[in-house]
Amino acid sequence: MIAFGSSISGAEAYRRYAEPGIRRAAEPDSEVLAYAAVEPVGRTYNLILEAAARIQGLEALVLVHPHTEIADDGLGEKVRLALSDPQVGAVGCAGARNVTSIAWWEGEVVAGDVRQRYEEHGGGEVPAARWAKRITPPAEVEALDGQLLVLSPWAVRNIRFDEALLLSHGFDLDFSLLVRQAGKRLVVADLAVVHHRPIEQVGDLAVWVQAHIEMAEKWDQVLHDPPADEPTWKRRARQAEARREAARAIAMSESLRLDARVLELERQLDAMTSTASWRLTAPLRVLNRLRRQARGRRAETGDDYSERRRWD
Amino acid sequence: MIAFGTSITKPEIYAQCAEPGISRAVEPGSDVFAMPSVGSIFRSYNALLEHFAPRPDLEALVLVHQDAEIVDSDFCGIVRRALEDPDVGVVGCVGAVGVRSIAWWEASVTCASFINRYDEHGGGELPSFSWAWSDAPAYARMGDVETIDGFVMVLSPWVVRNIRFDEHLGSFHGYDLDLCLQVRQAGRRVKTADFRAIHHRQLDMVPDPEQWIDAHVKLADKWDGQMGIGTGAGSWRDRALRAEADTDAALLLAHMNTLESDARVDELDRGLTETRTSISWRLTAPLRQLPVRAPKRRRPELTPRRLSEGLKSPDTP
Repeated sequence: MIAFGSSISGAEAYRRYAEPGIRRAAEPDSEVLAYAAVEPVGRTYNLILEAAARIQGLEALVLVHPHTEIADDGLGEKVRLALSDPQVGAVGCAGARNVTSIAWWEGEVVAGDVRQRYEEHGGGEVPAARWAKRITPPAEVEALDGQLLVLSPWAVRNIRFDEALLLSHGFDLDFSLLVRQAGKRLVVADLAVVHHRPIEQVGDLAVWVQAHIEMAEKWDQVLHDPPADEPTWKRRARQAEARREAARAIAMSESLRLDARVLELERQLDAMTSTASWRLTAPLRVLNRLRRQARGRRAETGDDYSERRRWD
Repeated sequence: MIAFGTSITKPEIYAQCAEPGISRAVEPGSDVFAMPSVGSIFRSYNALLEHFAPRPDLEALVLVHQDAEIVDSDFCGIVRRALEDPDVGVVGCVGAVGVRSIAWWEASVTCASFINRYDEHGGGELPSFSWAWSDAPAYARMGDVETIDGFVMVLSPWVVRNIRFDEHLGSFHGYDLDLCLQVRQAGRRVKTADFRAIHHRQLDMVPDPEQWIDAHVKLADKWDGQMGIGTGAGSWRDRALRAEADTDAALLLAHMNTLESDARVDELDRGLTETRTSISWRLTAPLRQLPVRAPKRRRPELTPRRLSEGLKSPDTP
């Protein structure tokens, strides 16, 4: 039996995104373990793991973020295939190799049909981690994206999330490293998933930076070749500080370039809508808008109407 | 005599940017030496220093990037006033204090009287915070700084005769900070003055990241804590882990900004398409084909002439 679990920090988000996806992917005997979130996220997930560990005949536990929608009717079959190798401890929809920090997406990303859907600027959809050159799954990885984690029964019974990671960022990397440290493998399967999240994925970068450091303190021996002495640490610090300032300058340049691109289009749109002809026909567009609104109201009240010609 | 020197790698850029600015700034007795580059900027600028050092009448040497345009017609007067104090060695129009690396803009910038003029995406201008003193923030001021931005660099005769750019540091990055550090170490002052310039450059601040990183490390190693360069809080281990985290945060921010911008571009594209395909736009197409009888009005531009004229107004700090 494949069980589903979710740590619900936003009931509305779960209702809108995670729940329909779980319904789509669930099988008749699937159990859904939905728990109110307790901070940090690891604490709620451990509650779910405890509950799942008691399920007889458990084949897998799928942990779904409330903003994540499973868009894959064949999830059960794909999960069973990925977990048919007993060495596989966990499966995800995205992950990476050559991971050196909680920013796993800066490594070699493996992801299938994973998309990010946002509502800002009229809404839109882009491939998740689209800046990365993506490797097509199935493939083994070093870290899994925590938005959707599929745990084997072994992982459910033997591994626990680290509740000492109070800042929550990086809980997925930590769990991935624990699974691998226990000798099991991580695999990305070709799962179709939509993440419904704002463009600004991380609101407080200062907290994220602290979580990054926290994780490095814990796992630096695994994620890097650790410096043996003070001069080697100094060399690493010098390089890191130089790279940081280069990254900031590049980010600033990119921001300026993007602003210039937006400004160019805004000028074009402004030039078009400030023409005499556009201003001359403004009353037509106002009338048309009123006509559409009236039609909408009639439709809501059940009035019959025929499709009319669109004027703008 | 106030001399002007430029190291040229792209003559067309010099003709378009630096040359008009120098022509605007020079006095009848000024000597202008526009020299083809002889290698790195360090080496080329040293050649300019060697060229002018023997001149007994030298009052100042102004080193101008080929893509920098001075906009003040009374530039020489400003330079003379700034160098009245013989302790002043270097003068610029952009400077900072609390500098710890070649990324001087990460420090506390006190003066930034320049415009970045770019050609990408139809072109545009980015005035820095003390371009117009009337709009400048409270922290904007002129006076002593730890480094200046080298795109326009005024050197006193003492500096021209006694200090040299360190050719071991690389090919381009960090030449200005290192020179300012040497000047300050020799007991002279570095300061900002009230002149303005246009930097005609692309928006990409670091087009060669690996060279930039290399220069950053070399300069940090050279000064190794002296004059504040390469210092930071915590142990080397603390600093390494923090800097690695900050780097990933900067990259994450860049990814988010790109997505934000692309979303806005998509929105604008949709707006443009809807406008172009609307019936009212298509109906009125013949109107837009009519010849325009009214004289073409030129879009007001921030031309150097207008800037220079504008600067005669009492917009001073």
